[in-house]
Amino acid sequence: MARRAKEPTGAMALLQDELPALRRAAQGSVVAGLLWLPQAWIAAQALAALLAGRAPGPLALALFLALAALRVILSHRAERGAQDAALAAVGRLRARLLTRESLLARPLPAGQAASLVQDQAEVLRPYAARYLQASARLRAIPAAILAASFWIAWAPGLILLVAGPAIPLFMALIGQAAGRASRRQLDQMGTMGGMLADRAAALPDVRLMGAGQRLVAEFTASADELRRRTMRVLTIAFMSSGVLELFAALGVAMMAVFCGFSLLGQLGFGTWPAAWGNGPLDPAHALFLLLIAPEFFQPLRDFAAAWHDRAAAESLAAVVAERQGQAARMAGQGGPARALPGRAVRLRGVTRHGIRYPDLDLSAGASVALVGPSGAGKTTLLRMIAGLEQPDAGLIEVAGRPLRPAIADAWRAGLGWMAQAPHFLDASLRENLLMGRAGDPAPALSAALADGVVANLSEGLDTRLGENGAGVSGGEARRLMLARVLIRAPGLILADEPTADLDADTAAQITQALLAAHAAGAGLVVATHDPALAVRMGQRLRIGGLDA
Amino acid sequence: MSDLRIVWRAMTGGVRGGMGLAMAASALVLVAGWSLLALSGWFIAATALAGLAATGAWFDIFRPAAAVRGLAILRTATRYAERWLGHDATLRGIVALRGGVLSGLAAADWPRLTRLRRGTALNRVGADCDALDGLPLRLVLPGTGAGAALAFAFALLWALLGWQLALWICGTHLGVALALALWAAPQARRLSVAGAQAARAHAAAALELINSRDELAVAGLLPGRRELALAHDARARACARALDGIERDLGAMQELARAASAAGALGLGAQAVAAGSIGPALAAMGFFAALALAELTAPLRRGIAEYGRIADAALRVAPMLREGPPSVPARPAPPSPLPLRIDGHALHPGGMLVLKGPSGAGKSTLLGQVAGVVPPAGRRITLGGIAVRDWPEPALREQVALVLQRPALIAGSLRDNLALAVPDAGEAAMMAALRAVRLDHLRDGLDLVLGPGGEGLSGGERRRLALARALLRRPALLLLDEPTEGLDEPTADAVMAGLRAALPQAGIVMATHRRATSGCKAAVLDISQEGITAGG
Repeated sequence: MARRAKEPTGAMALLQDELPALRRAAQGSVVAGLLWLPQAWIAAQALAALLAGRAPGPLALALFLALAALRVILSHRAERGAQDAALAAVGRLRARLLTRESLLARPLPAGQAASLVQDQAEVLRPYAARYLQASARLRAIPAAILAASFWIAWAPGLILLVAGPAIPLFMALIGQAAGRASRRQLDQMGTMGGMLADRAAALPDVRLMGAGQRLVAEFTASADELRRRTMRVLTIAFMSSGVLELFAALGVAMMAVFCGFSLLGQLGFGTWPAAWGNGPLDPAHALFLLLIAPEFFQPLRDFAAAWHDRAAAESLAAVVAERQGQAARMAGQGGPARALPGRAVRLRGVTRHGIRYPDLDLSAGASVALVGPSGAGKTTLLRMIAGLEQPDAGLIEVAGRPLRPAIADAWRAGLGWMAQAPHFLDASLRENLLMGRAGDPAPALSAALADGVVANLSEGLDTRLGENGAGVSGGEARRLMLARVLIRAPGLILADEPTADLDADTAAQITQALLAAHAAGAGLVVATHDPALAVRMGQRLRIGGLDA
Repeated sequence: MSDLRIVWRAMTGGVRGGMGLAMAASALVLVAGWSLLALSGWFIAATALAGLAATGAWFDIFRPAAAVRGLAILRTATRYAERWLGHDATLRGIVALRGGVLSGLAAADWPRLTRLRRGTALNRVGADCDALDGLPLRLVLPGTGAGAALAFAFALLWALLGWQLALWICGTHLGVALALALWAAPQARRLSVAGAQAARAHAAAALELINSRDELAVAGLLPGRRELALAHDARARACARALDGIERDLGAMQELARAASAAGALGLGAQAVAAGSIGPALAAMGFFAALALAELTAPLRRGIAEYGRIADAALRVAPMLREGPPSVPARPAPPSPLPLRIDGHALHPGGMLVLKGPSGAGKSTLLGQVAGVVPPAGRRITLGGIAVRDWPEPALREQVALVLQRPALIAGSLRDNLALAVPDAGEAAMMAALRAVRLDHLRDGLDLVLGPGGEGLSGGERRRLALARALLRRPALLLLDEPTEGLDEPTADAVMAGLRAALPQAGIVMATHRRATSGCKAAVLDISQEGITAGG
């Protein structure tokens, strides 16, 4: 088919590597399905013999059981192939999404990213495990049963032919609506995760305000909204499967009624003239028809279920494509590297998000304060110097070379990075300070005037602090972050508002510790509003403001 | 097992009617589907016999034919009802459960609460509650439905075919299903628990990877930590794969049991016909009945595969649900928490206590003790003459406000954040509170939208918004932990003056290590590890 030559698109593209295995599984499942025809034929013969007063022989029963066993083995193997491939596809998608997201200049908010990687990616699994199999069975099995029915008599074939094609038509109509509804539900799932994380973080304050019940009520209202959306999706899904069910049940019922009337001899139509074929219906053929009729509809029902998996997977594919379209990456991989020998920074004509940044020449060991109003882009400039974000235009030169992705990791290996908000990993304080290095954190702690902080913690360096430093004060967290920077003995320290939100004493301590590192040879780039800190820097670079 | 019962009660508390209807519908749909095929089989066999015997004219064909059509329609209608009712009742249950668990988290003890990590809360409430939708959908509804339908089938087959055939047909299905359940459930549970744990670890690691991305990239740890997160996922998928395998084996065994049951029914039926105890048409019906019974026990496969996940989630969720509201002492609360006495040091309306001392001396702990969230640990603290632990929680929260050193804000507008404190506060009251803390200059005013955790405000602004939030509640006793940290001297003084002006009669306790607290007359307490002394 011409269609197969084309590159798979949408959700199918997410399964590219697994397609051969999935196709094999689909073939196995088709053969297993077709084996029902001989099995049913044997059963029908045996039953007809019983009606004629002859007991069915042990050979027929044994053959019936042997075919059943063969069917079970085949479908078991097909299922295994499909399910294993589906899991592999989900794993690959997760790795791809997480890699991609963690290397973007601006990743999604963490809660949403985690939900995308963990929960939303999971919808690929039922799709991969079922859709191809179901569509292969849909193409082969109903046609085979239809042919067998027509071979026996034309009316049973007609019954199936009338009941059958209504189903795909109906499904195409329903499928589109289901796709839209399913997309809405995915969006809601993401915001739900974000909202839950946000509200859970605020629980202590909420408790102190006696607002626990209100928070729960608010959250319940939003969970209820999710329920309503989900029910909207499910109502469509149930309705379409209800229609399939109706056609299937009526198809079987009509088949039974037709066979019954024919056998009684009360119907003069529906069978082929004896000259052409089977002639009037006999009990064996009637029983055979009754046994195979449900299996005509089963692939349609399976396909309908898989069709909804497909709708969900297509929604996912759209989200994946959207994230894939985010072109702005950080430079490099964020991996370990040997530090570049130089520490100088040169900026020439750098622009980002429409902001034109002033040029800068910072020689090794020099210091500069980035000043300017909030939102002017001080943090963005720091991130660009660290290669965490790349300029839209212009040149950033570090250690005498353009800051290209290839050298970004090595450049960062010589940097100290102090973000405005402290972030602690879910690990001991020691691991949080060392960040993968070996050594003793004590000298850096005392250089950051933070040895007292650790002494006050009951578990010392083994303490696990909250993600944002819960367990110590803001000033203490800042000093710990500074110790994390100083442990690396960086050639250049990039600090974002290191003294913001601190009382005068603590701010003075941080300033003192930074200047001590500077005096020992480290370059300093500090984004700050704090005039006391800015005045201690070798130069001041105004970002934004009047001359922008 | 009792965990599951606790969860079930929490889920069905308000929706028993819906769940009961769903149970009835799930039994009915199985009965209708099974009867349709069994009746059809008998019908064709009977008509064939009548045709062969040329007694067709006397055979009543219309009633069975009508019953066949009726069952077909009944089956469709009940299927739709079963699905809709079952899912609706389940989702309502999940909503109730989410709310219950969040209240449980909110009622957790203070140290745990303050260290609550985002990842854990997200995993707990989100994933556990989602897993528990399987309790009704995968276990209870299919179980009760299949049980009822199987009993119906057994009774009917006994009446028509005799107990031997009924026992064979129902017994093979039921027996194999029970044996498989006993064989598979423990393994499935083990795999589910391990898999769920790995999936949680994966989600937490992914969350952390993105949250700390910049730090990790500079430290050169980004690929390593990402591999770690993906290794958790690989572990989770290995468990899922093994679980899939068990599920497939179950399905294969059940399919074999179905074939054996049908073949046996045919053989036994033929013997019974030969013995003359039943007619051939009923024997044919036995064959069809045995085939059709597989529909009843088919959901077992999914149920077993998910049982572990469900039981594991219930294990964690149930204890949270067990935490009732805090016990309320019978004694009525006094009208005011003032005077406040801490080990003999008193604070009266309009007065102010300043707690001083080095970091780690216990200033924050003392504030927590006064607010009644930290056990007093030997300290004598009374509010309005009553020990703090004897205060009913709601009265305490109404009268006493504690603003933490790192207050948490929520994503949403300033208005949303203030409404968290007082939902029905008017625009004017909100603006007045913002003015008192010098936060009325922000662009967009109350409509300024903050990101998660208050993103978009500086630390000092966040703290002032939290002060405004406390102010809005007009507490009689205001406890402040480093309220002016991060503020320059003039702003700090203005904020303190604004607080006092807004609440002239409130008692204020403030922990600070600022040297000067100009503008207010205050008693100073020096806090050290040894104890509390009046300072100067």
